[in-house]
Formats: sequence, structure tokens, C-alpha cells
Amino acid sequence: MDTLNNFINGTIALFGDPLGILIFLGGVIGGMLFGAIPGVSMLTLAAILLPFTAHLSPEHGIMLFSVIYCTGVYGGAITAILFNIPGAPENAPTAFDGYPMTQKGQAGKAVGAAVTCSAIGGTVSAVIMMIATAPIAGWAISAFGPPEIFALVFFGLAVASSVGAKTFWKGWLSILLGLLIAVVGLDPVGGIERWDFGMPYLLAGIHFIPTILGFFAVSEVLVQVEKKARGSYSAPKVGVDFPSLAELFAQKVAVLRSIVIGFFCGILPGIGATLAAFMGYNEAVRWSRDSKEFGTGKMEGVVSSETANNAATGAAMIPLLALGLPGGALTAMMVAVFQMHDMEPGPLVFLNSADLVWVVFAAMFFANLSILLIGFLETKTIINLLRIPFQFLAPVILLLATVGAYAVRGLPIDIVVMFIAGIVGFFLRRSGYSVAGIVLGLILGKIGEQTFAQAMQMLHFEWSGYFSRPIAITLIIAGVLTLLNSIYSCFFKKST
Amino acid sequence: MKLTKYIASGLLACSMTLVSNASFAACATDALPASLAGPDGFPERALTMIVPYGPAGGSGQVAQAMAQAVTELTDVNINRDHKPGGSGTVGMTAYMALPSDGYSVLEHIDDASSAHALDSSKPNPASDLIPLVISQITFSQIFIRTNEDRYTDWNSFVEWVKAQDGKATIANVSKEGSMERVTMKAISDATGISIQQISFDKGAPRYGALAGGQVDALFEQPGDVRKFLDAGTFKPILTILPEAPSAFPDVPALSDAGLDFDPLYRFRGFYVHKDAPADRVAWLKWAFQKAYCQQSYQDYNESKYMHLIDSYRDTEGARELIAATIDQYREVYKEMGLDVK
Repeated sequence: MDTLNNFINGTIALFGDPLGILIFLGGVIGGMLFGAIPGVSMLTLAAILLPFTAHLSPEHGIMLFSVIYCTGVYGGAITAILFNIPGAPENAPTAFDGYPMTQKGQAGKAVGAAVTCSAIGGTVSAVIMMIATAPIAGWAISAFGPPEIFALVFFGLAVASSVGAKTFWKGWLSILLGLLIAVVGLDPVGGIERWDFGMPYLLAGIHFIPTILGFFAVSEVLVQVEKKARGSYSAPKVGVDFPSLAELFAQKVAVLRSIVIGFFCGILPGIGATLAAFMGYNEAVRWSRDSKEFGTGKMEGVVSSETANNAATGAAMIPLLALGLPGGALTAMMVAVFQMHDMEPGPLVFLNSADLVWVVFAAMFFANLSILLIGFLETKTIINLLRIPFQFLAPVILLLATVGAYAVRGLPIDIVVMFIAGIVGFFLRRSGYSVAGIVLGLILGKIGEQTFAQAMQMLHFEWSGYFSRPIAITLIIAGVLTLLNSIYSCFFKKST
Repeated sequence: MKLTKYIASGLLACSMTLVSNASFAACATDALPASLAGPDGFPERALTMIVPYGPAGGSGQVAQAMAQAVTELTDVNINRDHKPGGSGTVGMTAYMALPSDGYSVLEHIDDASSAHALDSSKPNPASDLIPLVISQITFSQIFIRTNEDRYTDWNSFVEWVKAQDGKATIANVSKEGSMERVTMKAISDATGISIQQISFDKGAPRYGALAGGQVDALFEQPGDVRKFLDAGTFKPILTILPEAPSAFPDVPALSDAGLDFDPLYRFRGFYVHKDAPADRVAWLKWAFQKAYCQQSYQDYNESKYMHLIDSYRDTEGARELIAATIDQYREVYKEMGLDVK
């Protein structure tokens, strides 16, 4: 009852103040817009707004960032679905099936599914956040140290080995290429310089955003250019049909599964929505009877990815608010907003600033609901961008991707990396390799290498130490069994 | 030869300066003029500040606080351009490639000095750049969980760690040659303990590792974990300063713990290219040094415990600090067997 009363009070405080309503709406629209435009992510918007939050009340400042977080994670799905350009890394798996749906004339259904499931995932996550922030935060950091996170990454890679590839082996080769790219730069523990070829800029490593833009956007433009040149190009049909209730209801298991996965990934400091989206998608593939249809335009792929990444948003607020531990870049900026107002997120926030916390909780709840409304309107309007002829659209896509690649760190090398990835991706896709696998290997490789090294230090370089950590060893065994099953299928079932 | 002897030999003068200025009746740059016209209208446009780290960490925050203070003082805007990666190498390289016209400045930390100490081909912040101001100098502490019952203070911690036979763990940023690793080596040599250092390059997972019981202790600067101190989640058990500062009177300092070495410090400052026009450099020095005493910046520093020791160095003071730091790291690295170039 206290929770409900607090929520009502938070809602009244949020909507009883005209300035609060204005900031809320600005955050909702701004997050969606910046999330949807490749290159200018919700982080860009947050960085621009950060100094101005000093002039807002703490409630308004934190609320604005939390709303941007919710809607920004969703916003990137639109371009992923329509143009194969994920607005952010957490939307990359959405493109795996979202873009093929667009090519099949089902853009409306794909966007509609993304809208609905983002709203559901985010709203459920926000409700759990309101009910059980403190105990969940305490459990997460106690139960999940580097060994467990490494085991989770290993399990994720094992599950994802066949995503988007024609064969099991090509899938693994794709992932291994991603893992190889991930080791460029300083090693994350000892600071040893690797694979930099004497170029200082490579010490920062290969960032996954230019890589994603190259593998997805640039390679897609090249594919379409080739089709155009061969005379086999056909413009995507513009379908604005929203998915029916029956179609959405049929996704209930995928939604529930992705909520659990997304929430779970979101509460782990430093992991967040990107791993959530990949894990959500991978598990959908693993549990599906029609796993071969993933990557060809299956709605369940969009649903699983978008539910999981939005479910991670509320969860990511839990370690931030309860423990003062930001899970990602945007939540780290929220720490700065707190500090601008002489506050620190953490246990004392609930004691000293309970009103603020409940305004934020209410704002996140309603921001997720607003995705449904605004997203529905978007479905009927933004899809018409597909009517733009390819010869006009392609340069715009390349321009946006270039800006996006450069904007990440302001390094020209990221533009070079993007175009190399685009050309490599173009040829790899023709050969049945998985660009999704490369991206997954790159993203998880960075997390996995760091946590593996930390885990080995913690376990005093004894492998047997994993057996003393039940969650870690369970995940590793599950990953090994998944791998063995894939190999068995490859050799004896002749189905991969 | 013990590492502690090398550390004790070089930074003593530096640390003596640090602790002797522990109280401030007036701000360090109050004597500077309240306003100063730039040469030929300089700057005619916004300055660019290269920050070699992300916006949310300690460097990102001090860059924002200083940029705000300079803007308050001069009405000149400063655009912060974050170029993280390579432990500051990427930002430094990007900055050195910019025109040396005085319109771009660099924020950097003591890592630039230790990097030059290890590899002299990397820029020396004292000679390849002109330090405008060092605005944060801070010390480190060892922290444990407040509800920890296996040990409750420094002495019991040392005893407990010895009993673990090398199995005890401490979270820090233990990259090769880092201030954290060098200091932990000195502590280990001085106490005879063997403790496994677990390297976390980001703050949140590092603090979460201690809060969640994944590690036994944490090496950190107090300002970075102030929220955990205020919340009563963490408590310091050793202050790595010769004497205890006023905010931590009951926490043993090095002298109380019988540790005979002088500490290494974390410092953050602002620089301009050495070839920038002298008159513009003079204006930048005034702006950044004067901004140090802006109320907003002083409030920020205090919130990060940066007021406990003298956090201010002007250009010459910064050069002395950097030179002493480089010399000291070089000796330490040789003692550690690292390949000093």
C-alpha cells in the first residue's frame, strides 16, 4: 500500500506542475528523436542537456534524464527496422528481423511490435523497480561478480553461435572475428598495448558503434547498390498495418522471457541494455521451434530484442538509486545530475529524497506508456520515409552513418573503421557469414575479456574456483552443453 | 632493495609541501586581478577543452567544473571534447595534433606523467605542454565494508590478510605501472602482506565489487566514494598520507601504521600547447588559475574532499610536481623491473 501511495504522490507531483509536464514531454519526444537518428543518440542529447540541468530542480533534472533513457532506448528501433541502421547498439538485434520484415512489406507490423513490446518491457521493469529496488540491488551485486558475468557472456556466445549465419561453423568464425577485433587496444586489466600497429588512436580499441554502422548501414547500401546495378532492385513495400491483437498475444512467451532476461541484465552494473537485447534475441532463437526463420523477418525477433532492451531501463535504475552504481553511460550522467544538486545517488537518496525518487519512478512508468501512444502515431507516419527513392535515401544513410561514427569519440579513424566494416560486411554477407555474430563477438568480447581476467585474478588463477561459485559453473555448463548440442547437430543431423 | 626506499627518497619534498598547506584562510589566487583583457581581443570564440576520459568520471567532472568556473569568470564558453581511450593516450595524441593557437586546452591527470616516466617518447606534461593550473591533488585510502566482521581496522586487516596466504583481494586500477599498483607494492613491502589486486577500470563495478563482497577491500580516493562514506556503506581503514587529515582524524595514516614511505598523489590539471602564443598563454593562465577560486569550483572541490590538502599549483608549482613525479616513477619502475625507455 505504501508503494501505491508513493506512486500516486509521485504522479501528482509530476503532473501537478506545468513545468514538470513540459520537461516530461520534452524528454519523451527528445529521447525518441535522438534515439532514432543514427549518430546522435540519447547520450548526445543527455550530454547537451547536462549543463542546463543545473538550472532545474533536482526532481526535474533526474526525471528528464530517466525519461530520455526510456524513450531513447526505444527510438533506435525505428531506423533499425526501416533502414537496417540501429540507432544504438541495443537496437542492433532488432535489425536482424526488423529490416527483413520491412523488405517483405511488413514495416508497420515490425514497428508496431517494437512499440508495443518496448512499452510492455519498460513498464513492467518500472513496476518491479518501484516494488523491490533495494533488495534486488543488494542481491545482484552479491551474487554476480566477474566470474558470473564472464560465465553469462560465455553462455550468450554459445547460444548465439548460429545467429544469422548459414552454417554452424560460419557462425562461430563470425563470432571469433568479433572477438579478435575486440582485443585491439589496451588490454582492460594490465593496460598492455595490443594490435595498435604504432597508431595511438588504435590504443582506444575498435568501438562497436562505427562497426555496427559499417556492418549494417554501409553494407546494406552496398547490397542495394549492387542490386540496382544488376537491375534486380525493388523498393520495399510500404506496409503501415499495425500488428493485430492476436499476433501480439501470440508473442506472450517471448515477451515474458525477454522481460526476465532484460531485467536481469539491466541490474548488473556495467552490462545494461545492449547485452539484454542480444541475450533476449538469442534466447528467442534457442527456444523457438522455427529457429531457422530468425533473420528472415520473424516478428518474434523484434519482440524479443525490444522487450529486453527496454526491460533493462528500469532495472538499470536499481543499482543507481539503491547503491549509487551506474550501469551504463546514461545512468553515469545521471550521477552527475545528482551531484550538480549536491546529492549523491545511493541508499541515502531513499531516506533524504524520497519525493524525488517517486517522481522519477512515476515519470519512467508513464514514459514507457507514452511510447505506446507516440509510437503508434509514428507507425502511421514515419514509415512513409520508405517511399523516398533509393538514390536519394542512400546518400542520406551514408551521411548519417558517417556523422554517427565520428560523433562517438570525435576520431576520424572511426569513419575509416566504419567503411572498412561496410565493405567487409558486404562480402561476408554474400558468403553466408554473420555480421550480427561479428558485432556480438565484439561487444561481448570486451566485457568477456575483462571479466575473465578479473575472475582469474579473484580465483587465484585456478580454474577449479568456478566450482565454488554455483551460478558461474551452472552458466558455463549450460554454455558447454549448448555448444556440444550445436556440434552434434552439425555432424549428425546435417541440418546446419 | 625495498621499493619504499625509492619512494621515500624523491617525493618527500613534494609531499611536505602538500601537507604543510593544509589549511586555507584565503583562496590561492585571490591576489590575481579580478579581470584581465585578452591580447587583441583573444579569445574571439569559444575555447575547446580536450578531455581524455569520459564525461561521467573524475576527469570529466573536474573538466566540467573548471569549464563552468572559467565561463563564469570570463564569459568565454568552453566546449568539452571527450576523447577517451588508451589510458589518456588518445586524448593526448589528439590534442597534440591541434593547432597551437591557444584556442584549445587539455585536461589531464598524473597518468600523463607516469606514462612519460615509462616511455620518454610520450609527451612530458611539464615541457611539451604548459601547465595552466593543477586544480586537484588528492590522496588515496584503503576502504572496507562498514559491516565487515572479519576485520574492523587496519591492524586486524593486515593480520587477516597475512592469514589468507595470498588469497585476500583488493579492488583497484592495477594497470602496469599505475599509481595504485606502485602504492600497493610499497604497502605490501612495508607490511609483509601478499594481496591479490583485482583491476577494475571503471568506478561502478569497482565499488560494486566491494559493496557486494566480491573483494575484501578497495583502494580509492575518498572523493570518489564519498557517497558510500556518507551512507555508511564503506569506511576507510588507512589513509595514504604521512599524517591524518582533518576529515579523517581517527583513520590511521602512514606514520600511525608504521609505514615508512611517502605517498603518490592523484592530480588533475589543465594544459596548453607549449608553442601557443605567449600573450594568449598568459591570459589562459590567469583565467584558469583565477577560476580555481570561483565559488562554484571551490564548492565542487570540497564535495570531492579536495580541500583537505593543498590542491592548487600554478604553472611553476605544477612543473615542479610533475618533474618530481616523473623522477620518482622512473626510479620505482626500474626497481619493479619494468622496461623504462
